[in-house]
Amino acid sequence: MSKDGSLGYLTTRLQDAINWGRKNSLWPLPFGTSCCGIEMMATLASDYDMARFGAEAIRFSPRQADLLIVAGIINTKMAPILKTVYDQMSDPKFVISMGACASSGGIFNVYSVLQGIDTTIPVDVYVPGCPPAPEGLLNALLRLQDKVARGDTHSQRRMAEAAKGNIARL
Amino acid sequence: MDIRTPIPTNGGDWLTKFGETWKAQAEALRQKFGGAIEEIRMPPDYPTDVPIVYVRKEAVAEVLAHLKSDPAFEYGFLSDITATDEMTDPRFEVVYNLFSHVRFNRIRVKVRARDGEAVPTASSVWPAANWAEREVFDMFGIRFEGHPDLRRILMDERWVGHPLRKDYPLKGYQIFTDAEVIHPELLDKG
Repeated sequence: MSKDGSLGYLTTRLQDAINWGRKNSLWPLPFGTSCCGIEMMATLASDYDMARFGAEAIRFSPRQADLLIVAGIINTKMAPILKTVYDQMSDPKFVISMGACASSGGIFNVYSVLQGIDTTIPVDVYVPGCPPAPEGLLNALLRLQDKVARGDTHSQRRMAEAAKGNIARL
Repeated sequence: MDIRTPIPTNGGDWLTKFGETWKAQAEALRQKFGGAIEEIRMPPDYPTDVPIVYVRKEAVAEVLAHLKSDPAFEYGFLSDITATDEMTDPRFEVVYNLFSHVRFNRIRVKVRARDGEAVPTASSVWPAANWAEREVFDMFGIRFEGHPDLRRILMDERWVGHPLRKDYPLKGYQIFTDAEVIHPELLDKG
């Protein structure tokens, strides 16, 4: 804090400290709908152990989670449910789109399958693969941590815009 | 291999096991229902694993009830109801797959229906037909007369069209991101 009481320097540093805390305590909500869900479970289990990166507190309630891992195919009928789950999570919230189906519809280019979850909710990190190996998901988590530290995720940018008054509310 | 050669299955050669039973059953059906049976396609003469009984639309519930409970048939289990879009006239065939837990054999009943025509419901014969007929309605738009609750079961209730019809575009996406209103009467008015 400066002598004249302005918060300029301190708030940026404080924001960095908060983001450091956020990136090292991501609470994932596992939205596993297919084989990617199995790989996600392997990532969470002891061999790969996502707890090493502070993301071991799995929450099945969107109210208690801040990282949505969409692992698997999302049908068009599932889209409103996914949107509701995303809306119920409190800000800041992050999304990892795991695997080809969640990212682009994968091989299922038909009327019943959502062609990528980014048609419905904003996605921060995409993981390619069908399904991705656990290392892929771990890499995505690290990339997400980098983005969170920079304050560069969709949710954080939205919060910053709202704080500046550029958008009405979150 | 000749396409008419009977297909061996896990349960052995169905034709040698059930051929005589099916013949007797086909004869009994023709005698009992007469004109209501359009056609019966038997396995050795037609490339199918089980007999296909084509029934007139009006009589289907009656025939199914007979197949279920008559001691000569006893097809007590409704495996599935589905349909095909033949793009001919009549356009649709509704398919009833039946299984007998008494004789361990199967039979298939088909009903031809034009676009827009309603088929009598089988849910009075098998309660399980309720959801199966909802699925056929959802996918093909075939209505079932007398069905207690004919709503879509797989697709969103706001969906337009019926995706398994041949003229439905394969990539006819309809994406709804708002949740379905399950009880509209509970919403605030105005």
